[in-house]
Formats: sequence, structure tokens, C-alpha cells
Amino acid sequence: MREIIERAAGKGAERCEVFHLTSLRTQVDFETGRLKGVSRTEENGVAVRVVKNGRIGLATSTRLDDLDRIAEDAVATSAFGEKAEHGFAGAAQLPSPKVVDRRVEDLPIDAMIARMAEGVARIHDYEKKVNCEATTRRDVQEISVATSDGFDSSFRRTQYQFYVGGRLIEGTNMLDAGGYYGGTALDDGGNAIVDQVIEDLRNGRRNAAVEGGPTAVLFTPRAMADVMMTLYSGLNGSLVERKVSPLTGRLGQTVFDERVTIHDDGVADTGFSSAPFDDEGVPMQRTPLVVGGVLKGFITDLRTATKLGLPATGNGLRLRRLVQSKDIGAVPQPEVTGWDMAGGDTPHAQLLAGMKSGVVVDSIMGIMMSNLLAGDFSGNVAYGLKVENGRVAGRVKDTMVAGNIYRLLKDNVVGISREVERVGLMGFIGSHRYPYVLMRDVSISTKS
Amino acid sequence: MKQRLEEAIRKHRGRCDYLEVHVEETAESRVQFNGPRIADIGRKLDFGGNVRALHKGGWGFASFNSLDRLDEFAGHAIEQARLVGREKSVLAPVEPVRADVLLDLREDPRAVPLEEKVAVLKAYNDRALAKGGRIVSTVTRYFDRARRFWYANSEGSLLYQERVDLGGAVTPVASAGGDTQMYSVSFGGSDDFGVARGREKEVDEACAIALGKLDAPKVKGGEYTVILDPILAGTFIHEAFGHLSEGDNVYEDKNLQEVMTLGREFGGPALNVYDTGLDKGERGYLVYDDEGVPTEKTYLIRGGKLVGRLHSRETAGKMGERPTGNARQIDYRFPPICRMRNTCIENGDAPFARMLEGVGLGVYCVSAQGGQTNGEMFTFSAANAIMIRDGRLAEQVRDATLTGNVFVTLKNIDMIGNDFETHNGPGGCGKGGQFPLQTSHGAPHVRIRNVVIGGE
Repeated sequence: MREIIERAAGKGAERCEVFHLTSLRTQVDFETGRLKGVSRTEENGVAVRVVKNGRIGLATSTRLDDLDRIAEDAVATSAFGEKAEHGFAGAAQLPSPKVVDRRVEDLPIDAMIARMAEGVARIHDYEKKVNCEATTRRDVQEISVATSDGFDSSFRRTQYQFYVGGRLIEGTNMLDAGGYYGGTALDDGGNAIVDQVIEDLRNGRRNAAVEGGPTAVLFTPRAMADVMMTLYSGLNGSLVERKVSPLTGRLGQTVFDERVTIHDDGVADTGFSSAPFDDEGVPMQRTPLVVGGVLKGFITDLRTATKLGLPATGNGLRLRRLVQSKDIGAVPQPEVTGWDMAGGDTPHAQLLAGMKSGVVVDSIMGIMMSNLLAGDFSGNVAYGLKVENGRVAGRVKDTMVAGNIYRLLKDNVVGISREVERVGLMGFIGSHRYPYVLMRDVSISTKS
Repeated sequence: MKQRLEEAIRKHRGRCDYLEVHVEETAESRVQFNGPRIADIGRKLDFGGNVRALHKGGWGFASFNSLDRLDEFAGHAIEQARLVGREKSVLAPVEPVRADVLLDLREDPRAVPLEEKVAVLKAYNDRALAKGGRIVSTVTRYFDRARRFWYANSEGSLLYQERVDLGGAVTPVASAGGDTQMYSVSFGGSDDFGVARGREKEVDEACAIALGKLDAPKVKGGEYTVILDPILAGTFIHEAFGHLSEGDNVYEDKNLQEVMTLGREFGGPALNVYDTGLDKGERGYLVYDDEGVPTEKTYLIRGGKLVGRLHSRETAGKMGERPTGNARQIDYRFPPICRMRNTCIENGDAPFARMLEGVGLGVYCVSAQGGQTNGEMFTFSAANAIMIRDGRLAEQVRDATLTGNVFVTLKNIDMIGNDFETHNGPGGCGKGGQFPLQTSHGAPHVRIRNVVIGGE
């Protein structure tokens, strides 16, 4: 890394930052209930940012035998780059969240296979016809950042992900259910996930018709993870800087119901994206975004923090577009790490029991293509249940749920569950924590 | 390089049923403007490869950045396959190919200096920002990739392929009173930087549509007759039927096989759907897939009936069908899986004016914001929408997200237009963690009855 910094300096760079990632992924897949394949993905790449003549250049490469070309490319792109208004990270005191679990590193492939086989067997005990899939993915990463401004540090991280699910086809009715764990530590064996999958299959097997119109909706933690994607942009410093976030200029104001509190937590022990520092070398932290309904902060990287005159929150990550997976080729920008929404005071069971008629929405398909920036969402209820007099009456299908997160979280919250659950999705989001949230008058559309 | 691959195959082939080695090099340039600032400009050099082994029906896979340790990686892949394999390896037979596929470009993006690329994009970006007022920002992005692939397998195939992929979009962002709306002009292709040029008029239109959406009411949720423009109709068929046609969904699932029996009726007699790798210039253009199988034009639906599927060699082999050249990987980090190429609804005979006739209340849905499917149900989103009242286009509305059910919605297509066109954007298709894969689609205008649109 030092060598690249020196080479870049030799080519006229005034300042330089090097990000180095090595990772080893081991993945085991079950298809149709049977062991299908094992794969191993080794990655080694660097990303170099330079400032030359006051402008930023970036080059990335997985060809580490040609350091000179990387330095050259970075310097060459700086001719067209943005004016550098921010510095690179300097030396800092770093937090030390638990991001390595030896049990993850040492977990033999045989043990991964056994865990998945057991999950599949238990689902088949419930119903032989379920077409089961399962995946275990282990990543062991080493991430280093060095800058000409004095930062030079690296850390190791383990990430463990486990998914098991299945599809039940009866006639032309398809029912999908699945459960997931993602974190830097090994989970407790996946039993609870399998239990949930079986319960979802059981509850969703019978279909029930609902009527369109304003409806009481209980969003599960999984559905909250879908719906809250609308806020990822609203609370993102780079969109505030461009004045396109509806929360622009509203720091310190009450924006939501007073029961709503949300943190972005980059240092939660075992959190999937937790780390001592972000991909620019800024210490990661637990950042209050909304506390008691009052807007407290935005997630930032070095650049947006400088622009907004706010502290850098350690959210400058290099990720593949839309997913929480490192991309050596990506430019750092403010990204969510793990969101933590505070629970309320009502037990989940009580929220459900109190619903006279409504829908439990557990998974929404198509959220990503809504106008997220405006806080609007509209999607197909991929898994949702009709509720009558506090009891589940069957699965709703061919139904859309829509709303605006800024209005819903301000005016429509009925109750927030005491229980807060860890949720995620293989290959997309690693881990967030959300409660169940009951809202009134949520728009439901369906066949007339 | 070819020699090196063949040597590795020769050395290790004896220890498994099937072995392949894939190496690739990608040189990428990209530019992004967020409003007036250049948010990203960079070059990326990505070099790596993988070894994939099949033994007794089990797959092992090892990807790497360092070719020097190829033997070690071949060892890993084979060990893994042997660990997994408990059944019989089945791959549909194909003729081994030995070929070099060289680029045949119109305007070569590699020959366009980065400076000029920045200038072309900046001109669009400045044009949109110059409107001022409620056009408060933009997102303008462009990328191109020049890629080289080397491939060898234990059946004697040896391939060298060059591919180019490029795309971009200009998105004016309009904002007022805490509301934000946008609309994109997008382009893409596989053989011509020229697709990035000459978009000025479309940028102006995009600004006008984004501004119009600020004032437009949200569409009212409910069931409507909809007319999809060719871009959205392409997204629709990709989500509604393309994914369900992928052989890896079906090949080991007996229940789904019963549902997806060849000959089953999914649509009316006028509905023809295909997926092709043969259309040069489209992002879905592909000469050989990532298993070295030549691509083709594969009909999925003919006269409303299911006639084909998108196969890899394994899914074709296990179903006793023909491989179609649909095994694709986004890059060397992933194994190839069944994916689409350029997916299309074939032209019909209805002029647009006739489609409007007789629609009392409907929605004309224009351009696509995206789509998603879970097999039976799917959803797709229009970037702009206009109400249809008494057979005429009426007021602009926004946020039209549509949902459908594969067993119902295709049968509700009652008119297919005669104005087929293909569409290429900068995005791509996602599946099994592999995103984005370059695909494209094509269709004429399509009219569908009883489609549920979400909204308040």
C-alpha cells in the first residue's frame, strides 16, 4: 500500500488513499432439497484515490502485478475529477466491535452441509412436497486503508449467512417462505429460522380475499426492512446535500410520531456490516438519525460531511449498487450499515389481537422501483395474511400495498411492538433490527 | 493464455466428470454527475477467472484473481465437486467449439477519449440543469466495458471472445414543496458508442415529464385496462414470463414441471414470445454463452402456448431438452446460471389508435422503472403514466406500479401492437446474487385487461 502511495506521489499526486480488500468466500448450496454445489471465491483488489492539481482521480484493479498502471490510471482520471474539498482520513481512535468469530472461520464444510440438511429435513417433516433451497455463505475479509494524511490500519472480519426456504406448489398456487440470518458471528444453529419457515408455510397455505381501500396493516420486521428502504435515501447526506431529500433543512424538527427512534449502527457487536472503520478510514459509530420523532442526523461520508458541515459518520462504503457486498470498483458514498429501530411498549401478540380486520404484511416485492426519494412505495404483497378479529384468516394474493413513509410514520402509527427482531436478506442487506409496526389506513389495492 | 488453459484442463480432467476454466479481463470507464458535480469518474481493471468441476452430479467452483495458482484452484474445485457428488452427472451434449469471436464495432468506445465521453455526458447534464426552477438536480451516468474471455473445457472446447457493453442514463430531478420526481432517458448497447449521442431532444422531454409528475396526482389504486408502451411491455415480459422460463427453476421441481408442461396455454393465439442472443447491437447479444454453447433465438411462447425454455447444459440435459445458450455469469466470481438475453414479444397487428378505442377508463403506462417476480406473481413499475378516458389520452398521473399473475395476466392481453422496438438501458437483471447482468428487451405496444395498480 505504501508503495502505491509513493508511486502516485512520483506521478505528481499531492495526496493519496489506498483501499485494499482480500476476501475468501465459501458457499454451499442445496437445490431441490439436495446438496448441489460448493464454491470458493477468492478476491484481491485495490482502489486508489489521488488528488492532483486539487482534483480527485480514482482507479481500481484486481491485477496487483501492475501497481504502476493503477497509480497511472488514478492520476490520469484526476484531470476530469471533482475539485477535492475534503481531506482523506487521518489517524484516529478506532472502536472495536466484535467482527471476528473463530467459530465462523473454523466451521467445516461438512458442518455447514449438516445444518442445511437438518433444516431441509425438518421442513420436509412438515410437508414432503415443499421444494427446499438452502445456502450457507462464509466470508473472511481483510480490509486495509492507508492515506498520505496519516491513516494506516486494517482489520479482519468474518461474515456468516444462512438461508433456508421452500416453495410449495399446489395446482397453480405458489407459496414461498424463507428465513435468513446474517452476521459477523455464528448464529444459534438456525432452528428458529426453520420454525418460522414452517409456520409461514402453514399460515399461507389457504388463500383469503381482501377488499381494496384504506386498511389496518401490521408490518412485520421483515416488511419494515422493505418499507424503510424509502428512508435510506431521505436520511442519506448526499441527497440532503443535493436538496432532493424531503428531510433537507429539517434537522432538529419533529418529523415523525414521537414513538419513532432510528439509529444507524455500524458498531453493533455481530452486526453484518459492523467494522472499526469505513472504506475511507473513518471510525464507524452508532448514529442517531431520528430520536423521539425528532430528526437528529444523516449518514455521511467524508465528502458529504464536509459539504454539509456535519461530522463524518463512518458510512463511506464501497458497495455494489443496491447491495451490501463490497465492490472494489465502487466510489465510496454514504451507505446504511445496520438500522436499529427502537421497540415500543405493546407485545406483538397484543397488536395482532387488537386488529378487527386488516392485513399482516411480511414481504413486499418491487419496493425498489418506487419513487423512494419522495418516500413513496408501492409493491406486491409477496407474503401477507388477512386478519379477522385478531386471527389469521389466510394468505392475500394479487394485492398491492402502497403509501408514503413520511406521512405513515407521522400520522398513521397505531402501535410499535416491544419485540425487535433481526432481519436481513441474502446478498442484499446483512442485518437490521426492526419491531412490528401497526399502521392505520394503509392503501391496499386488489382485484375488484 | 489458451495454451495455459488447455494445459490445466489436461492435467486435472482425469479426476472429475467434467472440467472447465474461464479467465476474463475487463477494462471499464465510467462517469457520473450528481447535479453539477462529477461524482464519479474512474477506470477499473478487473482480471480474474474460475474453475468449475462436475463430478457425480455435484458442482465445485473456485474463482480467483491470481492465475499463477491455477493448479491450486483446479484442485479446490475438483475436491469440492467430489465432496458433493452422489448421483450422476448429466450435461446435454454439444459439439465442442474452437473459435475466436472478435469485435465488430460501429463506433468503438475504447477509441473515444475519456475527455470526449465526459463532454458528451456533461452536455446532457448541463442541458437539464440549465432549465433551472424546479429542476433542482440530475443524475447522469455512463459506463463502458471492454471485455476479453478465454474458455476451455474437458470436452475440447477452446474459445476466445471479445465483448463490449455500454450504457447510460440522464435523469432530471424535479422538486418542490418536499416532493421529488424524476424521469430518465436511457441508452445502451454492445457495439456502438454512437447510442450515447444525439439524445438532446429526449433530455428535454424527460425534464418536461419530471416537472409534469410534480403536478400530477397519484394514480388511484384499483383494477384497470392498461396499455404498455414498448419499453414497459419489454420489462413486463421479462418479469412475467422470462424468469419462469429459466430452466433452473423447473428442472428438478416435479410440481413446477407439471405447471410448466410444454404445450400449456398461457396466452391468446396472437401471443408470441422469444429470447434471443442473435440481435447484434443489443445488450443481450451473445455469440457463445459462458459454457461455450452457441446462442440462438429461442421461442418461449408460440400462438399462446409454451414451446421452450432457457437452458444451461445441465438443465437441458436433465429435462431431455436442447441447450439454448442461456448459461451466463455476471463475471468470473460466479458460476454461469440460466439467464435471459434479449427477451421480446413479437409484433402483432394493432395500431396504437385502435388500442385506445373502447377503453372507458384505463392507464397508458410509459417506460419502466423496474420489475420483480417471485414466479407466479410479478410487479413492474411505469416511469410515467397517462389516464385513458373514453378512448382518449387524458391527464398525467404518477406512481403506477402494476402487478400481475402469470396464469391470468398473459391471457388478459387482448391487443398486440404493430410497432415493435427494442430497448437497452444501463441497468440489468438480478438473480441469485448476480446483479446486474446485461440484458435487453423488445416489444410493441400491448393492451391488457384487468391489471391491478397500487395506489391510494
